[in-house]
Amino acid sequence: MGTMQGKLESIRESMMKELDSVDSSESLQVLRVRYLGKKGLLTQMLRSLGNLPPEERPAAGQSLNELRREFEAALEGRQRLISIAEDEAREASDLVDVTLPPRGRGWGGFHPVVQTMNEIIDIFVGMGFSVAYGPEIEDDFHNFEALNIPPHHPARDMQDTFYLDNGRLLRTHTSPVEVRAMLKWGAPLRIIVPGKVYRRDSDQTHSPMFHQLEGLLIDEDVSLADLKGCLNTFVGAIFGRPLDSRFRASYFPFTEPSLEMDVECFACSGRNPSCRICKGTGWLEILGCGMTHPNVLRYGGIDPDRYNGFAWGMGPDRVAMLKYGLTDLRVLFEGHGSFLTGGGY
Amino acid sequence: MRISWKWLNEFCKIPLSPEEAAERLTLTGCEVESIERPCSALKGLIVGRIEKLRVHPERADLFVAELDLGGPRAQCVTAARNLKEGDFVPYGAPGSAIADGTVLGKREFDSVTSVGMMLSAEEIGLPWIAEEFGILRLPRALVPGEDLVKALGLDDCILEISITPNRGDLLSLMGLARECHGVIPGAVLERKELRPPQVGNQGTVAWDGLTLEDPGCPLYGLSFAPSVKIEPSPLETRIRLAFSGVRSINNIVDATNAVMLITGQPLHAFDLDRLPAREITVRGASEGERFRTLDGKEHVLADGDLLITSGGVPVALAGIMGGENSEITPETKSVAFESAFFEPLRVSRTARRLGMGTEASYRFSRGVDPSRVLPTLSCLAEFLWKETSQRVEEKVRVVSTRTWDNRRITLTRRKMHRILLWDDLDKASELLQRLDLREISGTAEERLFEIPTSRADLSIEEDLIEEVGRLKGYESVPSRIPPLLHGTGRVGEEVEAHRRIRVAAMSRGYLEIVTYSFINPRWVEWLRIPETDPRSRGFRLTNPISQDQSLMRTTLLPGLLQALQTNLRSGWKDPIRLFEVGRVFLPGIEGEEHREILRMAGISWNGKERRLLHETCLKDDVLSLKADVLALCGSRGRTPGFSSGLEPFGHAGQTAQVTLEGKPCGYLTSIKPGILRELEIPAPVFAFELDIEPLLPEKGFRFGQVVRYPAVYRDISLIAPVGKPVASIEEDIRALGGDLLRGLVLFDLYQGTGIPDGTRSLAYSLAYGDPSRTLRDEEVDAIHDTLRRELAEKGYVLR
Repeated sequence: MGTMQGKLESIRESMMKELDSVDSSESLQVLRVRYLGKKGLLTQMLRSLGNLPPEERPAAGQSLNELRREFEAALEGRQRLISIAEDEAREASDLVDVTLPPRGRGWGGFHPVVQTMNEIIDIFVGMGFSVAYGPEIEDDFHNFEALNIPPHHPARDMQDTFYLDNGRLLRTHTSPVEVRAMLKWGAPLRIIVPGKVYRRDSDQTHSPMFHQLEGLLIDEDVSLADLKGCLNTFVGAIFGRPLDSRFRASYFPFTEPSLEMDVECFACSGRNPSCRICKGTGWLEILGCGMTHPNVLRYGGIDPDRYNGFAWGMGPDRVAMLKYGLTDLRVLFEGHGSFLTGGGY
Repeated sequence: MRISWKWLNEFCKIPLSPEEAAERLTLTGCEVESIERPCSALKGLIVGRIEKLRVHPERADLFVAELDLGGPRAQCVTAARNLKEGDFVPYGAPGSAIADGTVLGKREFDSVTSVGMMLSAEEIGLPWIAEEFGILRLPRALVPGEDLVKALGLDDCILEISITPNRGDLLSLMGLARECHGVIPGAVLERKELRPPQVGNQGTVAWDGLTLEDPGCPLYGLSFAPSVKIEPSPLETRIRLAFSGVRSINNIVDATNAVMLITGQPLHAFDLDRLPAREITVRGASEGERFRTLDGKEHVLADGDLLITSGGVPVALAGIMGGENSEITPETKSVAFESAFFEPLRVSRTARRLGMGTEASYRFSRGVDPSRVLPTLSCLAEFLWKETSQRVEEKVRVVSTRTWDNRRITLTRRKMHRILLWDDLDKASELLQRLDLREISGTAEERLFEIPTSRADLSIEEDLIEEVGRLKGYESVPSRIPPLLHGTGRVGEEVEAHRRIRVAAMSRGYLEIVTYSFINPRWVEWLRIPETDPRSRGFRLTNPISQDQSLMRTTLLPGLLQALQTNLRSGWKDPIRLFEVGRVFLPGIEGEEHREILRMAGISWNGKERRLLHETCLKDDVLSLKADVLALCGSRGRTPGFSSGLEPFGHAGQTAQVTLEGKPCGYLTSIKPGILRELEIPAPVFAFELDIEPLLPEKGFRFGQVVRYPAVYRDISLIAPVGKPVASIEEDIRALGGDLLRGLVLFDLYQGTGIPDGTRSLAYSLAYGDPSRTLRDEEVDAIHDTLRRELAEKGYVLR
């Protein structure tokens, strides 16, 4: 019995010593096999228990099993430490310079006008307007006559028109959709009409194709106050804060009264006489508007004695240029990668 | 329109500075675009009189003048040859400044000192008032030593006003004076009522008659100046015309222009002796008739143009321009002045067609005041007599076929309140009367107003409400949210689809672009689109700005390729993907006039001679763009189909027809290398273009069943002819695999040594599964073996 205990003690001592010197998973495995493997020392000792006298067997077996459990726990603890050290070493060698260029496709880029148009749409939809569309190739009736602009009327000079070989024209504004919408849905009505329009004009601030967003609200007893409230709300939303506005008298054949809306220059609020955005006037011309002319309502099949309404038309290109500080309108339609990615000088 | 502030104030005293008045006019509808002070740089200039003039003692090309400056004297040297003793001239002493800001001093001219300078018209800032080359000669009524700027009225400013097309009445000093009176409190109208002329046939000029054959001219008046002397206008007139942007010609023409500026009624002067007959007939032109206007241009006339003729010969294009054959010349001895009313639309149509925007056509197109047509002739007679001592006969010949009554419009309290939320009819009436809109009767609920004939733009009650609104000021109208705006509106499928698709495209690396809807017609040929293809039959603009933009696009591809070209030309080298959503315009089918189809399209170019990290895995090809198309359609819950296709501009071996719910909706292709060569774009370029319409209806995405029992995997490898599309092989496998075959993934594709020519080997991993249990290996083996056998029976070689 005594010898057995002594033997176990010396095995224990040498095992623990060896364990201390192990520094890799591989050598740990070797150690495990040497003691706990099929032909391992402890395994063999367990098998040889049968050679002991029967009365010694229980105590010897118990000691042996205790030693085995102790050793397994020590191995496990050692393995954990070694794994951590090994992972650390591996990660340190698998270094990736995260400042290297990425692989795969990056984000493309949005077009300022499409983006702005969508923002404008959301603002008005949030207010209760619904989106309506109409054709870009129009006829004289919808583009002019139904909007109270008879043939040869000088107001046609305001909008130089492109004509097509099939006798049609390219709409000069989104207003023809007003009449189409009135005929389709009747009153009351609350729509916005985003879209492309065309005028025969090309310079830094004019493009032969540009965008408009038209709005129309028809109900019983609509006033200029409704128009002002609606458009002031929009201005606050698109420029991110309420801006001062002023309404100037103007003329459009399809509205009566007709007004132009100017908003306080968001850049200088009129405090900088050499402001590049408002050219020192303190005001930005933003849109034309007015109360729908009774003749237009009639063309749209709506009784002007019962209903009236207001309409406006604005240029999302201009709003986008203001928002993004752009100066040349034509650049918007050339598709320069340097411009759209922001990568240009 | 350019308006002299001083001249305007002769018609209406305005108690504001020009800037304040401009602000007020702008707010009430006459946008003042700028205020110029053309002579603001002048400093210290005075009037001088030439006492003595002699040739320079040493230089024959110079003169030395002794000037009387109203006490002080000065000696000036000049090269000008148009002076004589006794002439009055502008003079600048040393220290004074001329128009360009130059400060004058003393200068030696070969031993003679010139103290200051005598000045030309250009040097005082008015080059166009010069009647001759040299020093400006001033009227003799001035006093030597007098301040030049005051004496000539150069301390004026010019308002550049943009007049809206409805307000023809504002194209005159009198009209604008009335407007100022209306919109500026405290403005006082200097009523210079026009006197109607005497009408009659007696006079020294023998005249046979006036005939109006065309309803386009319902009123025509003619007055005569039987004996005139053609000379330059007085300096004052020239300065006023210059400030108003009108060129000075001679006293007669200048008078017609000045009077037009005053009353708004255009006048025309004929050389009476050059008229073919002592008779005038106004008639419509006949189609193809030719006429040479006084600017020397010949015009081909059309039916509906209005002509003034004499003895059967056209002498003026009514309301637009006179003829070369009867214009005033330096030799003219007698003159006939025309003042008439021409129908606005008739003048407008002709002027627009012939591209002749003249001061006259501009005014006639916007409508002149019929009540001023004849009085303007009296105004002209007065002006000519007062300014240039030319006498016009008092009696005026007139013929008219129409009379004009003052329109009457009722303003109701109810309607005014509906629009302005304000109903004080008394106040409103006060405002309107300042514009000469006379209240002739009224009650507490409504007022009746008489509208002068000058205000042709006022015809309905809303027009009056606009007048009240703008005079009162729109700032006084409150601001509120219309009651109709409750709840949110609908964005609609088109916006919704566009948004999802564009974000998907941008996420996959595409730059969103917007290109012109009109393209160069040669794109049809560049893209080799045959005549049988509807895309070759786009609509053409009849009046394009340039040929480059003259055909309505029938495909989005040209815009994208052109944008790529633009980028390449400016040195772009990186890979680039471009994307556009927009309409194309195609000929109509089944009776429609045309079709506008919303499309999305994208192109990808792999970059040029640029070494990049990760280069190989970044290169696009038809299959990577196929993934893009799937993603874009996927953003709307759709999975498109792809089958081998043909496009005139597509690589014959790399073109797919794309279908949605079985219907063709576009293409995916690699552009033909030959086309790219011609476009100077290095190949390859991959492209897709799809109709958006099939993606519009919101379609709920169908989610799959949750898999709780793991699938069992088996591989299969087979050999098939190269020409057999993978899609049809997969179709076969799926059809034969039965219900338990739940997925198949192609993991290897091989062609070359080891397998027969014209075939390829495909290796698939097949997943078998059952939603309600885990399959047993033996079960799967049985199914898989059956599948293998059946595939072999179908002609596949299994490996």
